[in-house]
Amino acid sequence: MREDHKNVLVLLTCGVVLMASLAYASVPIYRIFCQKTGYGGTPTLGKMNTGVVINNRIIKVKFNSDVAPHLPWEFEPLQSYIHLKAGENGLAFYRVRNNSNEPVSGIATYNVTPDKAGIYFNKVQCFCFIEQTLDPGKWVEMPVQFFIDPELAKDSNLKDVTSITLSYTFFPTKTAKSARHNIQIHSIGDKNV
Amino acid sequence: MNEHTPHEHTPKGWRRWLLSTNHKDIGSMYLIFSIIGGIAGLIFSIVIRMQLAHPGGTVLGGNHQLYNVFITSHALIMIFFAVMPGLIGGFGNWFVPLLIGAPDMAFPRLNNISFWLMIPALIMAGLSTVVGMGAGTGWTMYPPLSSLTGHPDMAVDFLLFSLHLAGVSSILGSLNFITTIINMRAPGMDFFKMPLFVWTILVTSALLLITLPVLAGGITMLITDRNFGTTFFDPSGGGDPVLFQHLFWFFGHPEVYVIILPAFGIISQIISTFSKKPVFGYVSMVYAILSIGVIGCGVWAHHMFTVGLSPSATVYFSAATMVIAVPTGIKVFSWLATMWGGSIRFDTPMLFATGFILLFTLGGLTGVVLSNGGMNIVLHDTYYVVGHFHYVLSMGAVFGLFGGFYYWISKICGRQYPEIWGRIHFWMLFIGVNMIFIPMHFVGYNGMPRRIPDYPQAFAPMNYIASIGAYLTAFSTLIFLGVALYTVFRGKKAQSNPWGVGATTLEWTLPSPPPYHTFETPPHIGGDLHEHK
Repeated sequence: MREDHKNVLVLLTCGVVLMASLAYASVPIYRIFCQKTGYGGTPTLGKMNTGVVINNRIIKVKFNSDVAPHLPWEFEPLQSYIHLKAGENGLAFYRVRNNSNEPVSGIATYNVTPDKAGIYFNKVQCFCFIEQTLDPGKWVEMPVQFFIDPELAKDSNLKDVTSITLSYTFFPTKTAKSARHNIQIHSIGDKNV
Repeated sequence: MNEHTPHEHTPKGWRRWLLSTNHKDIGSMYLIFSIIGGIAGLIFSIVIRMQLAHPGGTVLGGNHQLYNVFITSHALIMIFFAVMPGLIGGFGNWFVPLLIGAPDMAFPRLNNISFWLMIPALIMAGLSTVVGMGAGTGWTMYPPLSSLTGHPDMAVDFLLFSLHLAGVSSILGSLNFITTIINMRAPGMDFFKMPLFVWTILVTSALLLITLPVLAGGITMLITDRNFGTTFFDPSGGGDPVLFQHLFWFFGHPEVYVIILPAFGIISQIISTFSKKPVFGYVSMVYAILSIGVIGCGVWAHHMFTVGLSPSATVYFSAATMVIAVPTGIKVFSWLATMWGGSIRFDTPMLFATGFILLFTLGGLTGVVLSNGGMNIVLHDTYYVVGHFHYVLSMGAVFGLFGGFYYWISKICGRQYPEIWGRIHFWMLFIGVNMIFIPMHFVGYNGMPRRIPDYPQAFAPMNYIASIGAYLTAFSTLIFLGVALYTVFRGKKAQSNPWGVGATTLEWTLPSPPPYHTFETPPHIGGDLHEHK
């Protein structure tokens, strides 16, 4: 192979490998990006409440719950909404119940709507941080502790925000083996409906 | 191999094609492949228009998944198996070495595998339509529709592997083009003397090298999500389906420039030849190509205005997208200025080139409308979008393909096409495609969603016109096939330069068809190629 051909080929191949690695690197980068910026309604975690309360900024926080179709759980918030001042600590409860006759594990994902409020919605303590395993027929009440960053009052983009919806979806904990299996059973079930 | 007489070495029979390392033979195979792909894609689109000809269409027997499959296959086949092999593989292989005075591509064997990878890729794409429920994901393949939730059987896996193969083929081809263009230019052929078609192939190849690995990463994640229990795009395992959209469009948007840039190049050559003038503003044309390539890599999220981007991201992606209208406008005005005062001959290639300028500009204008994040929320996923991108691709890229065909076919096969039938083909196609896509803007603006096999009565007249236009287009394609076959087997023997003084690039100095090996001794390029005498 001509030397100059080889040089160009090596250089370009490095570029291809670099871009392919960037595609994979984008997975953690994107996650960190969402957490840092509240992108896509990702709430902020692990921030301490400074204790500053903005008395004239009251937000209605609504609670929503969903369960993935193939998880035999019942999942609901115990209050449909609360009113909260920006900077004030909030506490809410959800109840989840395993309706099947075998122990099932699940984990909840969460986000807030509107998306742009994500960066100001701080979760202090949440059941969604850990996997939950429920025995058949058992139920459990789970707390979520949060506050709304008082900085929200200063952001002109959020002037129109009077309510924020906190939403959870419970999914069965995924294992490699069960993935295709679960879905197939589910889709057969669909055809009968 | 026959080391002693490489000049006379011309393999015969099937070996000539299967084992081919000759850029002209590989280019010809790509062109034939592209025509076959184009026919397949056209058949899918005709069935789509038959289904949509009347409200409550029953052509597909009420099988709406089948409709999704047709939509998906139409797009993927047209993009990966018709336009790309035609413009890049076909004309690129044939004419990049000829235009720069190189004896062949830098890596002839790599060129061979680039082509032959396309065959299994097309077969797998075909299988994806018939296996199980078929792949009805749209060409965008968003999860969860493309995950096991939406498509539990193997169809989508076939589609993804097909794209992998086509992607590897394109990456290898791009490596080859870039190396050829950088290292194998004839003495005196400086970068800024290269014909614009070579420039467009260079930038297109660079775009492919940058973006295809990202698509490959994204679809590999989808494959492992589907088959090996990873959760890159599955929220239940901490993944995010929107990430796929970012990865896909990081490839998908530059891909539209990959498709259109070589068409720009062909149009530039044609306009210059038939106006008998050098391209107006050659250097600014080159910089326009480069800046379209660079900016085109940073605007991908304008396909995703409805996923909940922050206002500042929307502003950025809207503005950056609009900025692309500047270099594109430079190109359009330069083409017009090239024609201005020229002694223009409206042979078929020039008809396609002027048709291209008009229709591509219309598509560009609706593109500026869509680039606005606020407008886009309203028009997103309507037929307005379908009308827009068919104006730039179906009339842009495909007119470039046909223009290139009529411009270069005498050089490729040594026979000239029948002029009158070329013109009939052009006018039928021109009327046909406008009948299809103008009405789409109207129904789309009024809210008709894309990828839905039915619509309310109010949209019936416009859809009927579009379907008639589609039938006319199909008929014009039959004429094209007739013209192509007639030209190749019965056409009038062509001179080395059928276009006269306007045709100043190197390929016209060679006999038609050129000998199997050309420019073994590099030609010397004197003076400025773009200054016509």
